[in-house]
Amino acid sequence: MIKYNFNEIIALLLSFLILNNLLLIGLNFSDFFLKINLILFFIVLLGFYFFKPFENWYLKIFFILIILISLGTPTFEWDPRSIWLFHAKRIFFDSSIFSVSDNYAPFSHNAYPNLVPAFASSLATFLGHWNEIFPKTAFSFMFLPPLIVSYVFFKNVKYLIFISLVLFIIGKYLFTGWADGLVAIYFSLSAFLAYLLLINENNSYRQEKILYFIAFSFFISLTLIKNEGFALLSILFLSIFIITIYKKNFKKNFKKIFYLSLAFLPVILWKTFCYYNGIGNDYVNLSLFSNILPRIVDFENYLLISYYLLLNEKFLFSLAFFVVIFWINWNKELFVFVFINAILYLLVLFLVFLSTPLDFHFQLDSTAARVIKTLSFLLAFFGLYNLNLRKDKIVN
Amino acid sequence: MNNQNSKKLSLFFLIICFLQIIYIFHFRSGFQYEIIKNPFEKNSGINFAVPDPVIETKNIIKKNKVESFNLSLSIKDNTALYQRIIEFNYPIRLKNNSDIFFFLKEETIPKECKIIDKGEFLLLTKC
Repeated sequence: MIKYNFNEIIALLLSFLILNNLLLIGLNFSDFFLKINLILFFIVLLGFYFFKPFENWYLKIFFILIILISLGTPTFEWDPRSIWLFHAKRIFFDSSIFSVSDNYAPFSHNAYPNLVPAFASSLATFLGHWNEIFPKTAFSFMFLPPLIVSYVFFKNVKYLIFISLVLFIIGKYLFTGWADGLVAIYFSLSAFLAYLLLINENNSYRQEKILYFIAFSFFISLTLIKNEGFALLSILFLSIFIITIYKKNFKKNFKKIFYLSLAFLPVILWKTFCYYNGIGNDYVNLSLFSNILPRIVDFENYLLISYYLLLNEKFLFSLAFFVVIFWINWNKELFVFVFINAILYLLVLFLVFLSTPLDFHFQLDSTAARVIKTLSFLLAFFGLYNLNLRKDKIVN
Repeated sequence: MNNQNSKKLSLFFLIICFLQIIYIFHFRSGFQYEIIKNPFEKNSGINFAVPDPVIETKNIIKKNKVESFNLSLSIKDNTALYQRIIEFNYPIRLKNNSDIFFFLKEETIPKECKIIDKGEFLLLTKC
């Protein structure tokens, strides 16, 4: 009989309860059920802290510090205020995620998915009134499932390196109410689980059914955090498709890939709802081609995008970390998997920037450093995992 | 790696993590002791998050029991102020057909508008 890891169970439960919160609001359940769901969330969290108090104590301490910082930080930046917390506020007062169908305050991007705002609104429901500080901690709580499940794969020093990479790359995004840090962590963990469960054939994790459930809930979460999540999960599935076809084991993995691809359903339903209610997306509309065509032929634009995206100190550090570790311990399969995902994501970023309806320089200046975090964390995470594999080789 | 080295490395990265937390807390967070004293209070942190005229709109709306409001062209042209007023006052909504208007104090108010309330930065009028 397979014994499930304590951290896997906690991560799955927390992730499930966050998704369940959105489902309950979506199905119009009363505040009573939302509160029960939230109480269960906190009970599981207490279980994580006190059931095995000395296991993974680094994360326990750092997470408390992050929550304390979050509880003393105002929400003054544009994205957290005018998009995420405003969505949460609307869900709290309207008791629905569908009230955005009136497209009130279109500047708040009503078509954005609402997983984190829904969780933030439930924190306000729990509190009994709207408040600008406490609901924001939902963003920090959302980090817990991927941070906890990482402990299954990294231990002791490796886990401390992992935490320091999170603090270095994600930094203030752990508590300020921006969603970009969440996208970076959820994508990296989703890619990692996809690699273990669908690409790499020589690991015992493939036998652990619970990891498939965790991957499934991370995939759903990724698509419902931010629009980029949908693009990133598509990239992930495309890379899985390419590699499994190349390795001639697509048929063998078809069932797993099919079931995991059902994670796209919630976001497809949400986007269908937005489409039928005329809630637009600034970036995907008819002017997309008229924006991209004049820019695509100008080489200067590519240089400018590269400058903003790639000359980022955190990205360069992660790239160097990744290259050095793969230099020391070459792992072709892992390298190809990360490389395909990274290149596809870069391509998407170039296309998005070239087609922006906003001022080109303004768009790059305001978003490049945020969106490159996903790539930086992906490289750093897989670099660290490869370092882990090297250690295992030496031990064996 | 022997146990002794492993312990030294753990201690090294533990210190790195703490230093990073201190850096984020001190230089990157915008942390305010006034907020952490009571982060669960209704108006906690608003003084640090939105400008005074925005807070004033809420006070005026509450005092005059306004159900929906409209904004002068000058306020609408100021994107930051416009967006902050909308999101801060929700669930009270901006309605373009509402005859209750906010004007900035320095603005010239149309003759057909009657002043209902005066604040430090804004005027509430019925037009």
